[in-house]
Amino acid sequence: MSWWTRIRSWSHATIRRGRVEREMDAELRFHVESYTEDLILSGVPEAEAMRRARLEFGGLEQTKEVCREARGTNLVESLTQDVRFGLRLMRKSPGFTAVAVVTLALGIGANTMVFSVVNALLLRPLPVERPNELAFVENTHFGPGQSFPNYKDLRDHNRTFAGLIGYRIAPMEMKSDGGAQRVWGYLATGNYFEVLGVQPVLGRFFTQSEDLNPGASPYAVLSYNAWRSRFGADKAIVGKTIRLNRLPYTVLGVAPADFHGTERFYWPEVWVPMMMQPRIESNSWLDNRHDWNTWVIGRLKANISQAQAEADLNAIAVELAHEYPDVNDRLHFSLAKPGLIGNMVGGPTKAFAFGVLILAALVLLAACTNLASMLAARAVDRQRELAIRLAIGAGRGRVVRQVLIETLMVSFLGGGIGYALASFLSKALSHWRAPMDFPVQFNVNPDWRVFVFALLVSTAASAMFGSAPAWRASRTDANLVLKGNPPTWLVGRLNFRDILVVVQVALCFVLVAGCLISLRGLQQALRLNLGFEPQHVAVAAFDLGLAGYSPERGRAFQQQALQAIQQLPGVQSAAYSNSVPLSIDQSTTDVSPADKTELRPSDNIEAVYYQVSPGFFATMGTRLLAGREFTWHDDEKSQQVAIVNLAFARRVLHSDNAFDAVGKRFRGGPLGPLTEVIGIVEDGKYQSLTESQQPAIFWSVLQFYNSSTTIEVKSVLPGTQITAEIRRTVAQLDPGLPLYGTGGLEQMLGFAFFPSHAAAIALSAFGVLAIILAGTGIHGLVAYSVSRCTHEIGIRMALGARSVQVLHLVLGKTAALLLVGSIVGLILAVAMGQMMASIVYQAQPHDPWVMLAVLLTVALLGLSACWSPARRAARVDPIVALRYE
Amino acid sequence: MDKQLELLQGTLDMLILKAVSLGSLHGYGILLRIQQISKDRLEIQQGSLYPALYRLEHQGWIASEWGESENNRKAKYYRLTTAGKRRLQAETENWNRMADVIAGILRTTPEEV
Repeated sequence: MSWWTRIRSWSHATIRRGRVEREMDAELRFHVESYTEDLILSGVPEAEAMRRARLEFGGLEQTKEVCREARGTNLVESLTQDVRFGLRLMRKSPGFTAVAVVTLALGIGANTMVFSVVNALLLRPLPVERPNELAFVENTHFGPGQSFPNYKDLRDHNRTFAGLIGYRIAPMEMKSDGGAQRVWGYLATGNYFEVLGVQPVLGRFFTQSEDLNPGASPYAVLSYNAWRSRFGADKAIVGKTIRLNRLPYTVLGVAPADFHGTERFYWPEVWVPMMMQPRIESNSWLDNRHDWNTWVIGRLKANISQAQAEADLNAIAVELAHEYPDVNDRLHFSLAKPGLIGNMVGGPTKAFAFGVLILAALVLLAACTNLASMLAARAVDRQRELAIRLAIGAGRGRVVRQVLIETLMVSFLGGGIGYALASFLSKALSHWRAPMDFPVQFNVNPDWRVFVFALLVSTAASAMFGSAPAWRASRTDANLVLKGNPPTWLVGRLNFRDILVVVQVALCFVLVAGCLISLRGLQQALRLNLGFEPQHVAVAAFDLGLAGYSPERGRAFQQQALQAIQQLPGVQSAAYSNSVPLSIDQSTTDVSPADKTELRPSDNIEAVYYQVSPGFFATMGTRLLAGREFTWHDDEKSQQVAIVNLAFARRVLHSDNAFDAVGKRFRGGPLGPLTEVIGIVEDGKYQSLTESQQPAIFWSVLQFYNSSTTIEVKSVLPGTQITAEIRRTVAQLDPGLPLYGTGGLEQMLGFAFFPSHAAAIALSAFGVLAIILAGTGIHGLVAYSVSRCTHEIGIRMALGARSVQVLHLVLGKTAALLLVGSIVGLILAVAMGQMMASIVYQAQPHDPWVMLAVLLTVALLGLSACWSPARRAARVDPIVALRYE
Repeated sequence: MDKQLELLQGTLDMLILKAVSLGSLHGYGILLRIQQISKDRLEIQQGSLYPALYRLEHQGWIASEWGESENNRKAKYYRLTTAGKRRLQAETENWNRMADVIAGILRTTPEEV
């Protein structure tokens, strides 16, 4: 509807309503006047006639109201009337309206924001054809990946899937006009786009027949973003050649803008056929059943249930375990919703989302409690108004509806602002890229689901805080109120508002407790012994395999670079390794004690491993407990050696003492039969902050080359200066080699700390909201009761009460309410502690210091909220107060 | 003047329909006509007449238009619609049957039981 039609229809309705009203008035007046004339004609004196005519007719306004209802068409009209009345009321008390709207905007905004994140991560379907048919195939007993030969067997022998795709997240070096850069992409089987049902915006996608032989399909598909940002949205890009890892690839097409593969948090820039894997990654695992590197998603055939598909896959699993018992022992598949790498990311995400949704709901509850108590206070003042309206003929239903419409209006206004706030924030969040060398990005832009959610929440909120005043309005006794002694509104012996304050304090307590528990957990996580000291260590990474270096040339380059960097002024020590602990790139291997002769796969112990250069432990600040560090002589010509951590010594070497373990040997690992342990280092965190103590092996990089290189530099220079120096030094050796992940090691660990950080930020926001809400709530209550009691206080002071006694009177009840609320909150917080602990790592649910801090916070909050009204009470001038009525 | 009878619940609508079936009337006229026919034996709350008129008009049994009254003033005149005629007929039959039944019951003597 255009603005003009809207205005016209509104004005028509107004004009018509005016006419109907005028006609009704004329008709009734005609009646009364005609009757008066008849009475005069029959001899009654004029004044008496007029009086009798009016009396016998009855209440004019009441009759009109009944007539309006009888006419039946006045629903819209009276609604308009109610809305206009509501607007007038809102304008009349702008302070109240502002506080109510802001309170609701915060509560509803917080909920909408949380929901739009949940929506983006869990609810919104993937932008592919019939997304609910897709299922992620994961291993029930271990990780989400499959070996590529196993994937091929599943693909070729299943009877329940219309198609099964294999894919893998892979970094690669891409050369465009802006120079060489490391980008993140996908290796994907040829049927990938066809099975997902995605259409290109430009060119075409690669197909099954183009992905048959290793190394034979140098094709690339660009993401929409990469096409725009790296190739200037070149319409003629199709057929052009780009260089990936310094080899030529032909661009086939561009993916649609909203398609970012199947993982919701990962935005790849390029797709390459899986058969190019040996060229993209340095080691080939396409025929290796030991490397579980492939993620698998299938599209179920029509009318096949998830259980049927799982049964089908597990029948194949039994055959595979029979055929390859050494690797496929205990193989068992289960299906998960695609989008979050099965249950590995999906499980914790769901738990976290659920927890945060509960907290958001609590904040909204606190906001509603706040409003309910404000409205309850106002309702006392409005009793007279309601009584007058009832007395002059408003129906009870009408009065209740009026009150409900008022709350609904406030609620929708607050909800609208909250929604606007939330969508602004979600847009910002959608553009935000986590500060780490991995394209983590979420599209949390609100869609219709978020809008409906905000609408529902607003309605629910107004029902929550509006039902009490409406109920109260429906029970107004006009006679009692107008006679001047309104009934006090008691629930038992406690005032309704008192109960609201207790609820509010309890909620505030729980939220502040949640916030503090999480912050303390984060603080402890930051002080956790990581097994290394990230302070003052800068890192820079490059991949020589992606850059086309052979192992021999790579080895030489690594040592050259290290030597050059060690010469830099301000450098205390430097080293290099394939990766650092707690970064994304982690490798594990299976090992077993050397004395075991008859080996079963289940005897293997999984250990994290790194390939490190001499000086690694000194640079990283990892303590060597026994034995020695690597030297430049631990190379290919000497005996195969390793340094392990304490957990490894305990579990694999069965030595509780670090010194006993030195010199022992173990079996397995990528290098083959037997390795001698030459040193023991302290335990640390390797894959995640939350892991329990894991065995770890450090090989000498001189014996076990890896083209992926991270250089660690410990220096006294500021972070930015030393990274610039490293960059310059490496560029002197190979100007075309892209560096990635450069910066302070502390910042690089952002990936590991990301969940805790996100949780702490969200929980702190809720805590602050709760404090604001509870503060205004308590302040409002005390201020109101002081203003109601001014008269009483005046009398008391006139009779000789001292300020202290007045303060006691005013604050005594509030203090009692605060205490009761805190006790209830404490019980709730302890009960909820377990949930908090599951959300935030290192959170101690029953930390007494946290509880004490919360108690202090709430007490301080209560005191400061009471301060100004209490002072006002203590300064009441009895003369002024008594003259007041 | 005889003591006035209070109107039975729900009969006002019927009386209004009857009154306007004899010719179109304004509200006050309807009141007068009912009093005249009933020879002032019925007591009608004047105010209650108008909600009934609005209700009947909303239901489509009577229609209204503005006209000129006997004393040359503008007045709203009501007349019976076709649907109203049917309604009046149905209500009249209903009422007569009901009156017969009630009267029959009240006439009953002990011997007849």
